[in-house]
Amino acid sequence: MKKYLKYIITIAAVGLLAYKSVYFKKLSEVKAKTATAFDAAGFTQKIWSEQLNTKLDSAIELTTLIKAIEAAPADAFNRHTNALAIGNYRNAMVKLNAEVKQVNEDDVLVQLPFADSMLTVKVATEFVYGNAIRDASRLVDVKDFPNTNDLNSISEELNKTVRTTILKPFKQAVKAGDKVVVTGAIEINKAHLNWSEPEIIPVRLQIVN
Amino acid sequence: MIAQLKIGSDTLKRFQSLIALLILCTILSFMTDKFFTADNGLNVLRQIAVNICIATGMTLIVLTAGIDLSVGSVLALCGAVTVGLLRNGVEIPAGDLFVGFTLLGAILGGLLCGWLLGWFNGFAITKFNVPPFVATLAMLTIARGFTMLYTKGHPISNLGKEFAFIGSGSFLGIPVPVWIAAIVVLLAVFITQKTKMGRYIYAIGGNEQAAKLSGININRVKITVYSFAGALAALGGIIVTARLDSAQPNAGMSYELDAIAAVVIGGTSLSGGKGSVWGTVMGAVIIGVLNNGLVLLNVSPFWQQVVKGGVILLAVIIDKAGERRD
Repeated sequence: MKKYLKYIITIAAVGLLAYKSVYFKKLSEVKAKTATAFDAAGFTQKIWSEQLNTKLDSAIELTTLIKAIEAAPADAFNRHTNALAIGNYRNAMVKLNAEVKQVNEDDVLVQLPFADSMLTVKVATEFVYGNAIRDASRLVDVKDFPNTNDLNSISEELNKTVRTTILKPFKQAVKAGDKVVVTGAIEINKAHLNWSEPEIIPVRLQIVN
Repeated sequence: MIAQLKIGSDTLKRFQSLIALLILCTILSFMTDKFFTADNGLNVLRQIAVNICIATGMTLIVLTAGIDLSVGSVLALCGAVTVGLLRNGVEIPAGDLFVGFTLLGAILGGLLCGWLLGWFNGFAITKFNVPPFVATLAMLTIARGFTMLYTKGHPISNLGKEFAFIGSGSFLGIPVPVWIAAIVVLLAVFITQKTKMGRYIYAIGGNEQAAKLSGININRVKITVYSFAGALAALGGIIVTARLDSAQPNAGMSYELDAIAAVVIGGTSLSGGKGSVWGTVMGAVIIGVLNNGLVLLNVSPFWQQVVKGGVILLAVIIDKAGERRD
Protein backbone atom coordinates (compact mmCIF):
# COMPACT_ATOMS: atom_id res chain seq x y z
CA MET A 1 0.00 0.00 0.00
CA LYS A 2 2.82 2.35 1.04
CA LYS A 3 4.64 1.47 -2.17
CA TYR A 4 1.60 2.32 -4.31
CA LEU A 5 1.18 5.62 -2.49
CA LYS A 6 4.80 6.47 -3.28
CA TYR A 7 4.25 5.72 -6.96
CA ILE A 8 1.05 7.78 -7.08
CA ILE A 9 2.73 10.79 -5.43
CA THR A 10 5.71 10.53 -7.80
CA ILE A 11 3.50 10.30 -10.89
CA ALA A 12 1.37 13.21 -9.67
CA ALA A 13 4.48 15.35 -9.06
CA VAL A 14 5.94 14.52 -12.49
CA GLY A 15 2.58 15.21 -14.11
CA LEU A 16 2.28 18.58 -12.37
CA LEU A 17 5.83 19.53 -13.38
CA ALA A 18 5.16 18.51 -16.98
CA TYR A 19 1.89 20.45 -17.01
CA LYS A 20 3.70 23.56 -15.78
CA SER A 21 6.64 23.01 -18.13
CA VAL A 22 5.31 22.51 -21.63
CA TYR A 23 2.47 23.62 -23.86
CA PHE A 24 1.39 22.44 -27.27
CA LYS A 25 0.43 24.30 -30.43
CA LYS A 26 -0.03 23.53 -34.08
CA LEU A 27 3.34 23.84 -35.80
CA SER A 28 1.79 25.36 -38.94
CA GLU A 29 0.28 28.19 -36.87
CA VAL A 30 3.56 28.91 -35.08
CA LYS A 31 5.45 28.85 -38.41
CA ALA A 32 2.96 31.27 -39.97
CA LYS A 33 3.52 33.72 -37.13
CA THR A 34 7.32 33.59 -37.29
CA ALA A 35 7.69 33.30 -41.06
CA THR A 36 8.87 36.87 -41.45
CA ALA A 37 12.64 36.41 -41.24
CA PHE A 38 14.80 39.45 -40.66
CA ASP A 39 15.71 41.22 -43.91
CA ALA A 40 19.16 42.59 -43.10
CA ALA A 41 19.72 44.03 -46.60
CA GLY A 42 16.38 45.85 -46.60
CA PHE A 43 16.86 47.16 -43.06
CA THR A 44 20.37 48.41 -43.87
CA GLN A 45 19.27 50.01 -47.13
CA LYS A 46 16.54 51.86 -45.24
CA ILE A 47 18.81 53.28 -42.54
CA TRP A 48 21.52 54.02 -45.15
CA SER A 49 19.23 56.09 -47.33
CA GLU A 50 16.96 57.61 -44.69
CA GLN A 51 18.89 58.08 -41.45
CA LEU A 52 22.62 57.74 -41.85
CA ASN A 53 23.20 61.05 -43.66
CA THR A 54 21.92 63.01 -40.69
CA LYS A 55 24.34 61.16 -38.43
CA LEU A 56 27.22 61.83 -40.83
CA ASP A 57 26.35 65.52 -41.02
CA SER A 58 26.41 65.80 -37.25
CA ALA A 59 29.63 63.77 -36.79
CA ILE A 60 32.15 65.31 -34.42
CA GLU A 61 35.50 66.57 -35.71
CA LEU A 62 38.20 64.01 -34.91
CA THR A 63 40.47 66.60 -33.34
CA THR A 64 37.61 67.88 -31.17
CA LEU A 65 36.89 64.34 -30.01
CA ILE A 66 40.53 63.71 -29.12
CA LYS A 67 40.71 66.94 -27.13
CA ALA A 68 37.43 66.14 -25.36
CA ILE A 69 38.61 62.66 -24.41
CA GLU A 70 41.92 63.98 -23.15
CA ALA A 71 40.18 66.64 -21.07
CA ALA A 72 37.34 64.59 -19.56
CA PRO A 73 37.37 60.99 -20.76
CA ALA A 74 34.25 59.71 -18.98
CA ASP A 75 32.09 62.57 -20.16
CA ALA A 76 33.48 62.48 -23.71
CA PHE A 77 32.99 58.75 -24.07
CA ASN A 78 29.50 59.07 -22.72
CA ARG A 79 28.51 61.94 -25.03
CA HIS A 80 30.32 61.16 -28.26
CA THR A 81 30.78 57.39 -28.43
CA ASN A 82 28.60 54.33 -28.47
CA ALA A 83 28.96 50.57 -28.00
CA LEU A 84 26.49 47.72 -28.23
CA ALA A 85 28.75 45.26 -26.44
CA ILE A 86 30.23 45.27 -22.96
CA GLY A 87 33.93 46.11 -22.86
CA ASN A 88 36.48 48.83 -23.42
CA TYR A 89 35.85 49.38 -27.11
CA ARG A 90 33.75 52.42 -28.00
CA ASN A 91 32.84 53.76 -31.42
CA ALA A 92 32.30 57.28 -32.66
CA MET A 93 31.30 58.87 -35.95
CA VAL A 94 34.01 61.44 -36.76
CA LYS A 95 34.77 63.91 -39.53
CA LEU A 96 38.08 65.32 -40.71
CA ASN A 97 39.39 67.67 -43.40
CA ALA A 98 42.81 66.43 -44.41
CA GLU A 99 45.40 66.07 -47.13
CA VAL A 100 46.28 62.73 -48.64
CA LYS A 101 49.85 61.86 -47.73
CA GLN A 102 50.14 58.39 -49.18
CA VAL A 103 47.92 55.96 -51.08
CA ASN A 104 48.58 52.35 -50.11
CA GLU A 105 47.10 49.10 -51.31
CA ASP A 106 44.94 48.63 -48.20
CA ASP A 107 44.55 52.19 -46.91
CA VAL A 108 45.07 55.87 -47.50
CA LEU A 109 47.13 57.92 -45.07
CA VAL A 110 45.86 61.47 -44.59
CA GLN A 111 47.26 64.31 -42.50
CA LEU A 112 45.66 67.17 -40.67
CA PRO A 113 46.97 69.77 -38.26
CA PHE A 114 46.54 68.91 -34.61
CA ALA A 115 47.97 70.87 -31.69
CA ASP A 116 51.46 71.93 -32.80
CA SER A 117 52.09 69.12 -35.24
CA MET A 118 50.42 67.00 -37.91
CA LEU A 119 48.18 64.06 -37.07
CA THR A 120 48.32 61.14 -39.47
CA VAL A 121 45.12 59.15 -39.86
CA LYS A 122 44.70 55.83 -41.65
CA VAL A 123 41.57 55.58 -43.79
CA ALA A 124 40.76 51.93 -44.43
CA THR A 125 40.06 51.29 -48.09
CA GLU A 126 40.34 47.52 -48.34
CA PHE A 127 39.52 45.71 -45.11
CA VAL A 128 36.19 47.08 -43.93
CA TYR A 129 34.96 44.66 -41.31
CA GLY A 130 33.56 44.69 -37.79
CA ASN A 131 30.79 46.62 -36.12
CA ALA A 132 32.34 50.10 -36.00
CA ILE A 133 29.97 51.74 -38.50
CA ARG A 134 26.85 50.13 -37.03
CA ASP A 135 27.77 51.04 -33.46
CA ALA A 136 29.09 54.54 -34.23
CA SER A 137 25.90 55.41 -36.14
CA ARG A 138 23.74 54.87 -33.03
CA LEU A 139 20.95 53.75 -35.35
CA VAL A 140 20.70 50.20 -34.06
CA ASP A 141 19.40 49.21 -30.64
CA VAL A 142 20.46 45.83 -29.37
CA LYS A 143 17.08 45.36 -27.67
CA ASP A 144 15.31 45.31 -31.04
CA PHE A 145 17.07 42.16 -32.16
CA PRO A 146 16.26 38.72 -30.84
CA ASN A 147 19.60 37.23 -31.81
CA THR A 148 23.12 38.44 -32.40
CA ASN A 149 23.15 36.89 -35.84
CA ASP A 150 20.62 39.45 -37.09
CA LEU A 151 22.53 42.24 -35.38
CA ASN A 152 25.79 41.16 -36.99
CA SER A 153 24.18 40.87 -40.41
CA ILE A 154 23.46 44.63 -40.27
CA SER A 155 27.18 45.28 -39.87
CA GLU A 156 27.93 42.96 -42.76
CA GLU A 157 25.48 44.80 -45.00
CA LEU A 158 26.75 48.25 -43.95
CA ASN A 159 30.35 47.21 -44.57
CA LYS A 160 29.41 45.71 -47.93
CA THR A 161 27.66 48.92 -48.97
CA VAL A 162 30.75 50.96 -48.02
CA ARG A 163 33.04 48.61 -49.93
CA THR A 164 30.96 48.66 -53.10
CA THR A 165 29.54 52.16 -53.28
CA ILE A 166 32.03 54.36 -51.39
CA LEU A 167 35.46 52.83 -51.61
CA LYS A 168 35.48 51.64 -55.22
CA PRO A 169 35.14 55.11 -56.86
CA PHE A 170 37.33 56.74 -54.18
CA LYS A 171 40.22 54.33 -54.71
CA GLN A 172 40.12 54.95 -58.44
CA ALA A 173 40.26 58.73 -58.05
CA VAL A 174 42.41 59.46 -54.99
CA LYS A 175 46.08 60.48 -55.23
CA ALA A 176 48.69 61.94 -52.91
CA GLY A 177 48.21 65.65 -52.29
CA ASP A 178 44.41 65.56 -52.69
CA LYS A 179 42.33 67.45 -50.16
CA VAL A 180 39.67 65.16 -48.73
CA VAL A 181 36.78 65.25 -46.31
CA VAL A 182 36.44 61.95 -44.51
CA THR A 183 33.49 60.97 -42.38
CA GLY A 184 33.54 57.58 -40.77
CA ALA A 185 33.65 55.40 -37.73
CA ILE A 186 36.52 55.18 -35.31
CA GLU A 187 36.96 52.46 -32.70
CA ILE A 188 38.60 53.59 -29.48
CA ASN A 189 39.90 51.38 -26.68
CA LYS A 190 39.01 53.23 -23.49
CA ALA A 191 41.69 51.45 -21.51
CA HIS A 192 44.51 52.05 -23.99
CA LEU A 193 44.17 55.41 -25.70
CA ASN A 194 46.51 55.70 -28.64
CA TRP A 195 46.29 58.57 -31.10
CA SER A 196 49.23 57.48 -33.19
CA GLU A 197 47.78 56.84 -36.66
CA PRO A 198 44.18 56.13 -35.67
CA GLU A 199 42.13 54.19 -38.21
CA ILE A 200 38.85 55.40 -39.66
CA ILE A 201 36.35 53.15 -41.39
CA PRO A 202 34.98 55.59 -43.95
CA VAL A 203 31.30 56.02 -44.70
CA ARG A 204 31.49 59.21 -46.73
CA LEU A 205 34.55 60.29 -48.74
CA GLN A 206 34.82 63.51 -50.73
CA ILE A 207 37.79 64.76 -52.75
CA VAL A 208 37.56 68.57 -52.56
CA ASN A 209 40.54 69.84 -54.58
CA MET B 1 51.71 17.24 25.44
CA ILE B 2 52.06 15.26 22.19
CA ALA B 3 48.31 14.64 22.20
CA GLN B 4 47.67 18.38 22.62
CA LEU B 5 50.05 19.16 19.75
CA LYS B 6 48.28 16.56 17.61
CA ILE B 7 44.89 18.11 18.36
CA GLY B 8 46.31 21.56 17.51
CA SER B 9 47.76 20.28 14.27
CA ASP B 10 44.48 18.55 13.35
CA THR B 11 42.50 21.72 14.06
CA LEU B 12 44.94 23.76 11.98
CA LYS B 13 44.62 21.29 9.12
CA ARG B 14 40.85 21.24 9.37
CA PHE B 15 40.59 25.01 9.16
CA GLN B 16 43.56 25.64 6.87
CA SER B 17 41.37 26.93 3.99
CA LEU B 18 39.48 29.29 6.32
CA ILE B 19 42.73 30.56 7.83
CA ALA B 20 44.16 31.11 4.33
CA LEU B 21 41.02 33.00 3.35
CA LEU B 22 41.16 35.22 6.44
CA ILE B 23 44.83 36.03 5.83
CA LEU B 24 44.07 36.82 2.17
CA CYS B 25 41.15 39.09 3.10
CA THR B 26 43.20 40.89 5.74
CA ILE B 27 46.06 41.55 3.31
CA LEU B 28 43.70 42.77 0.57
CA SER B 29 41.85 45.04 3.02
CA PHE B 30 45.10 46.81 3.77
CA MET B 31 46.15 47.01 0.13
CA THR B 32 42.93 48.45 -1.32
CA ASP B 33 40.09 50.27 0.39
CA LYS B 34 37.64 49.07 -2.30
CA PHE B 35 37.95 45.45 -1.16
CA PHE B 36 36.23 45.37 2.21
CA THR B 37 32.86 46.79 1.17
CA ALA B 38 29.42 45.18 1.08
CA ASP B 39 29.04 45.80 -2.66
CA ASN B 40 32.34 44.15 -3.43
CA GLY B 41 31.49 41.22 -1.16
CA LEU B 42 28.22 40.63 -3.03
CA ASN B 43 30.05 41.04 -6.31
CA VAL B 44 32.56 38.33 -5.34
CA LEU B 45 29.75 36.03 -4.19
CA ARG B 46 27.87 36.53 -7.46
CA GLN B 47 30.99 35.75 -9.43
CA ILE B 48 31.86 32.58 -7.55
CA ALA B 49 28.32 31.17 -7.48
CA VAL B 50 28.77 29.34 -10.78
CA ASN B 51 32.11 27.90 -9.73
CA ILE B 52 30.59 26.74 -6.44
CA CYS B 53 27.84 24.85 -8.32
CA ILE B 54 30.33 23.16 -10.63
CA ALA B 55 32.95 22.56 -7.95
CA THR B 56 30.38 20.96 -5.63
CA GLY B 57 29.67 18.31 -8.26
CA MET B 58 33.38 17.99 -8.91
CA THR B 59 33.99 17.40 -5.18
CA LEU B 60 31.69 14.37 -5.17
CA ILE B 61 33.48 13.00 -8.22
CA VAL B 62 36.95 13.64 -6.79
CA LEU B 63 35.85 11.98 -3.53
CA THR B 64 35.29 8.79 -5.57
CA ALA B 65 38.84 9.25 -6.92
CA GLY B 66 37.51 10.42 -10.28
CA ILE B 67 37.74 13.64 -12.26
CA ASP B 68 35.46 15.44 -14.70
CA LEU B 69 37.07 17.61 -17.36
CA SER B 70 33.85 18.07 -19.31
CA VAL B 71 31.97 20.41 -16.93
CA GLY B 72 32.84 23.59 -18.87
CA SER B 73 31.54 22.18 -22.16
CA VAL B 74 28.51 20.59 -20.47
CA LEU B 75 27.77 24.01 -18.96
CA ALA B 76 27.87 25.65 -22.40
CA LEU B 77 25.72 22.98 -24.07
CA CYS B 78 23.10 22.91 -21.33
CA GLY B 79 22.92 26.72 -21.23
CA ALA B 80 22.34 26.71 -24.99
CA VAL B 81 19.77 23.89 -24.77
CA THR B 82 17.88 25.75 -22.04
CA VAL B 83 17.56 28.95 -24.05
CA GLY B 84 16.94 26.96 -27.22
CA LEU B 85 13.96 25.28 -25.57
CA LEU B 86 12.76 28.56 -24.09
CA ARG B 87 12.96 30.51 -27.33
CA ASN B 88 12.38 27.94 -30.05
CA GLY B 89 10.67 24.99 -28.35
CA VAL B 90 10.68 21.66 -30.17
CA GLU B 91 9.13 21.21 -33.59
CA ILE B 92 7.61 17.89 -34.64
CA PRO B 93 6.75 18.38 -38.32
CA ALA B 94 5.37 14.84 -38.73
CA GLY B 95 2.54 15.56 -36.30
CA ASP B 96 2.25 19.30 -37.10
CA LEU B 97 3.09 19.79 -33.44
CA PHE B 98 5.00 22.52 -31.68
CA VAL B 99 6.08 21.82 -28.10
CA GLY B 100 6.71 25.11 -26.32
CA PHE B 101 8.57 25.32 -23.00
CA THR B 102 7.83 27.60 -20.09
CA LEU B 103 10.75 28.97 -18.07
CA LEU B 104 10.39 26.08 -15.62
CA GLY B 105 10.26 23.57 -18.49
CA ALA B 106 13.34 25.01 -20.17
CA ILE B 107 15.30 24.93 -16.91
CA LEU B 108 14.26 21.33 -16.25
CA GLY B 109 15.19 20.48 -19.83
CA GLY B 110 18.66 22.01 -19.36
CA LEU B 111 19.17 20.16 -16.07
CA LEU B 112 18.05 16.90 -17.65
CA CYS B 113 20.50 17.46 -20.50
CA GLY B 114 23.33 17.92 -17.95
CA TRP B 115 22.21 14.85 -16.01
CA LEU B 116 22.24 12.73 -19.19
CA LEU B 117 25.68 13.97 -20.26
CA GLY B 118 26.99 13.18 -16.78
CA TRP B 119 25.27 9.79 -16.89
CA PHE B 120 27.04 9.08 -20.18
CA ASN B 121 30.39 9.96 -18.54
CA GLY B 122 29.64 7.61 -15.64
CA PHE B 123 28.44 4.87 -17.96
CA ALA B 124 31.62 5.03 -20.09
CA ILE B 125 33.81 5.01 -16.97
CA THR B 126 32.09 2.13 -15.18
CA LYS B 127 30.88 -0.14 -17.99
CA PHE B 128 33.82 0.21 -20.37
CA ASN B 129 36.53 0.89 -17.78
CA VAL B 130 37.56 4.09 -19.55
CA PRO B 131 39.73 6.19 -17.21
CA PRO B 132 37.69 9.21 -15.96
CA PHE B 133 40.31 11.59 -17.37
CA VAL B 134 39.89 10.16 -20.89
CA ALA B 135 36.11 9.67 -20.81
CA THR B 136 35.43 13.21 -19.63
CA LEU B 137 38.08 14.65 -21.97
CA ALA B 138 36.15 13.05 -24.82
CA MET B 139 32.91 14.50 -23.46
CA LEU B 140 34.60 17.92 -23.26
CA THR B 141 35.11 17.86 -27.03
CA ILE B 142 31.78 16.19 -27.84
CA ALA B 143 29.72 18.65 -25.78
CA ARG B 144 31.60 21.66 -27.18
CA GLY B 145 31.01 20.36 -30.69
CA PHE B 146 27.30 19.89 -30.03
CA THR B 147 27.15 23.42 -28.59
CA MET B 148 28.63 24.82 -31.80
CA LEU B 149 26.21 22.75 -33.88
CA TYR B 150 23.21 23.75 -31.78
CA THR B 151 24.03 27.48 -31.77
CA LYS B 152 25.54 27.44 -35.28
CA GLY B 153 28.49 29.23 -33.67
CA HIS B 154 26.45 32.33 -32.87
CA PRO B 155 25.30 33.59 -29.46
CA ILE B 156 21.58 33.40 -28.74
CA SER B 157 20.54 36.54 -26.90
CA ASN B 158 17.56 38.56 -25.61
CA LEU B 159 16.09 35.89 -23.39
CA GLY B 160 13.62 37.97 -21.45
CA LYS B 161 13.55 39.58 -18.02
CA GLU B 162 12.27 36.50 -16.20
CA PHE B 163 15.20 34.41 -17.36
CA ALA B 164 17.72 37.23 -16.78
CA PHE B 165 16.50 37.45 -13.16
CA ILE B 166 18.15 34.06 -12.47
CA GLY B 167 21.55 35.55 -13.27
CA SER B 168 21.29 39.17 -12.29
CA GLY B 169 18.33 39.47 -9.91
CA SER B 170 18.42 39.70 -6.12
CA PHE B 171 16.23 38.31 -3.35
CA LEU B 172 16.40 39.89 0.13
CA GLY B 173 19.42 41.85 -1.04
CA ILE B 174 21.36 38.72 -1.96
CA PRO B 175 22.00 37.89 -5.65
CA VAL B 176 19.88 34.97 -6.93
CA PRO B 177 22.94 32.97 -8.10
CA VAL B 178 24.21 33.06 -4.50
CA TRP B 179 20.91 31.60 -3.23
CA ILE B 180 21.12 28.87 -5.85
CA ALA B 181 24.73 28.07 -4.94
CA ALA B 182 23.77 27.98 -1.24
CA ILE B 183 20.97 25.48 -1.91
CA VAL B 184 23.33 23.34 -3.99
CA VAL B 185 25.93 23.33 -1.22
CA LEU B 186 23.39 22.44 1.48
CA LEU B 187 22.03 19.63 -0.67
CA ALA B 188 25.53 18.26 -1.32
CA VAL B 189 26.44 18.54 2.36
CA PHE B 190 23.26 16.65 3.24
CA ILE B 191 24.05 13.94 0.69
CA THR B 192 27.66 13.51 1.82
CA GLN B 193 27.01 13.65 5.55
CA LYS B 194 23.53 12.31 6.13
CA THR B 195 22.83 9.70 3.48
CA LYS B 196 23.98 6.21 2.59
CA MET B 197 25.03 7.53 -0.79
CA GLY B 198 27.43 9.95 0.92
CA ARG B 199 29.04 7.18 2.92
CA TYR B 200 29.36 5.07 -0.23
CA ILE B 201 31.09 7.95 -2.03
CA TYR B 202 33.72 8.24 0.70
CA ALA B 203 34.07 4.46 0.90
CA ILE B 204 34.67 4.12 -2.85
CA GLY B 205 37.26 6.91 -2.83
CA GLY B 206 38.99 5.49 0.25
CA ASN B 207 39.31 1.94 -1.03
CA GLU B 208 37.28 0.90 -4.05
CA GLN B 209 38.10 -2.78 -3.71
CA ALA B 210 37.06 -2.87 -0.06
CA ALA B 211 33.87 -0.96 -0.88
CA LYS B 212 33.05 -3.48 -3.61
CA LEU B 213 33.66 -6.41 -1.27
CA SER B 214 31.41 -4.85 1.35
CA GLY B 215 28.53 -4.96 -1.12
CA ILE B 216 28.38 -1.40 -2.42
CA ASN B 217 27.13 -1.16 -6.00
CA ILE B 218 30.09 0.88 -7.16
CA ASN B 219 28.92 1.41 -10.73
CA ARG B 220 25.55 2.74 -9.63
CA VAL B 221 27.10 5.16 -7.13
CA LYS B 222 29.64 6.43 -9.65
CA ILE B 223 27.06 6.89 -12.42
CA THR B 224 24.81 8.78 -9.99
CA VAL B 225 27.69 11.01 -8.90
CA TYR B 226 28.72 11.85 -12.48
CA SER B 227 25.07 12.47 -13.41
CA PHE B 228 24.63 14.76 -10.40
CA ALA B 229 27.79 16.67 -11.33
CA GLY B 230 26.50 17.00 -14.90
CA ALA B 231 23.23 18.45 -13.64
CA LEU B 232 25.14 20.93 -11.46
CA ALA B 233 27.26 21.96 -14.45
CA ALA B 234 23.99 22.50 -16.31
CA LEU B 235 22.74 24.64 -13.44
CA GLY B 236 25.96 26.66 -13.71
CA GLY B 237 25.26 26.99 -17.43
CA ILE B 238 21.78 28.31 -16.79
CA ILE B 239 23.14 30.92 -14.35
CA VAL B 240 25.91 32.01 -16.75
CA THR B 241 23.47 32.26 -19.65
CA ALA B 242 20.96 34.22 -17.59
CA ARG B 243 23.67 36.54 -16.31
CA LEU B 244 24.94 37.31 -19.81
CA ASP B 245 21.38 37.29 -21.21
CA SER B 246 22.94 35.28 -23.97
CA ALA B 247 23.98 31.68 -24.65
CA GLN B 248 27.55 31.90 -25.85
CA PRO B 249 28.92 28.94 -27.82
CA ASN B 250 32.29 29.39 -26.13
CA ALA B 251 30.91 29.78 -22.60
CA GLY B 252 32.55 27.84 -19.79
CA MET B 253 35.95 27.55 -21.42
CA SER B 254 38.42 26.25 -18.80
CA TYR B 255 35.79 26.41 -16.03
CA GLU B 256 36.77 22.83 -15.19
CA LEU B 257 40.17 24.11 -14.11
CA ASP B 258 38.65 26.63 -11.71
CA ALA B 259 36.38 23.91 -10.31
CA ILE B 260 39.27 21.48 -9.82
CA ALA B 261 41.32 24.29 -8.27
CA ALA B 262 38.52 25.02 -5.78
CA VAL B 263 38.32 21.34 -4.86
CA VAL B 264 42.08 21.03 -4.41
CA ILE B 265 42.51 24.29 -2.49
CA GLY B 266 39.57 23.21 -0.34
CA GLY B 267 41.58 20.22 0.80
CA THR B 268 39.87 17.37 -1.06
CA SER B 269 42.42 14.72 -1.91
CA LEU B 270 42.74 13.99 -5.63
CA SER B 271 43.25 10.34 -4.74
CA GLY B 272 39.73 10.26 -3.28
CA GLY B 273 38.09 9.47 0.04
CA LYS B 274 39.11 12.66 1.87
CA GLY B 275 37.63 16.12 1.74
CA SER B 276 34.37 17.97 2.08
CA VAL B 277 31.94 20.20 0.25
CA TRP B 278 32.55 22.99 2.79
CA GLY B 279 36.26 22.83 1.96
CA THR B 280 35.44 23.25 -1.71
CA VAL B 281 33.26 26.26 -0.92
CA MET B 282 36.25 27.76 0.91
CA GLY B 283 38.44 26.95 -2.09
CA ALA B 284 36.01 28.64 -4.47
CA VAL B 285 35.82 31.70 -2.20
CA ILE B 286 39.63 31.87 -2.01
CA ILE B 287 39.89 31.79 -5.82
CA GLY B 288 37.11 34.39 -6.14
CA VAL B 289 38.68 36.70 -3.55
CA LEU B 290 42.09 36.26 -5.14
CA ASN B 291 40.72 37.12 -8.61
CA ASN B 292 38.82 40.09 -7.23
CA GLY B 293 41.79 41.35 -5.22
CA LEU B 294 44.13 41.12 -8.18
CA VAL B 295 41.67 43.04 -10.37
CA LEU B 296 41.23 45.74 -7.69
CA LEU B 297 45.01 46.01 -7.42
CA ASN B 298 45.22 46.49 -11.20
CA VAL B 299 47.43 43.45 -11.64
CA SER B 300 47.81 42.44 -15.29
CA PRO B 301 45.51 39.54 -16.30
CA PHE B 302 48.59 37.60 -17.37
CA TRP B 303 50.08 37.88 -13.90
CA GLN B 304 46.72 36.95 -12.41
CA GLN B 305 46.94 33.57 -14.10
CA VAL B 306 50.47 33.06 -12.83
CA VAL B 307 49.44 33.91 -9.26
CA LYS B 308 46.38 31.65 -9.41
CA GLY B 309 48.47 28.75 -10.67
CA GLY B 310 51.00 29.37 -7.91
CA VAL B 311 48.29 29.29 -5.23
CA ILE B 312 46.93 25.98 -6.56
CA LEU B 313 50.42 24.48 -6.56
CA LEU B 314 51.02 25.72 -3.02
CA ALA B 315 47.71 24.21 -1.86
CA VAL B 316 48.61 20.81 -3.31
CA ILE B 317 52.11 20.92 -1.78
CA ILE B 318 50.65 21.76 1.68
CA ASP B 319 48.07 18.99 1.25
CA LYS B 320 50.71 16.43 0.27
CA ALA B 321 52.97 17.50 3.14
CA GLY B 322 50.03 17.02 5.51
CA GLU B 323 49.36 13.55 4.08
CA ARG B 324 53.00 12.56 4.57
CA ARG B 325 52.91 13.77 8.19
CA ASP B 326 49.77 11.70 8.80
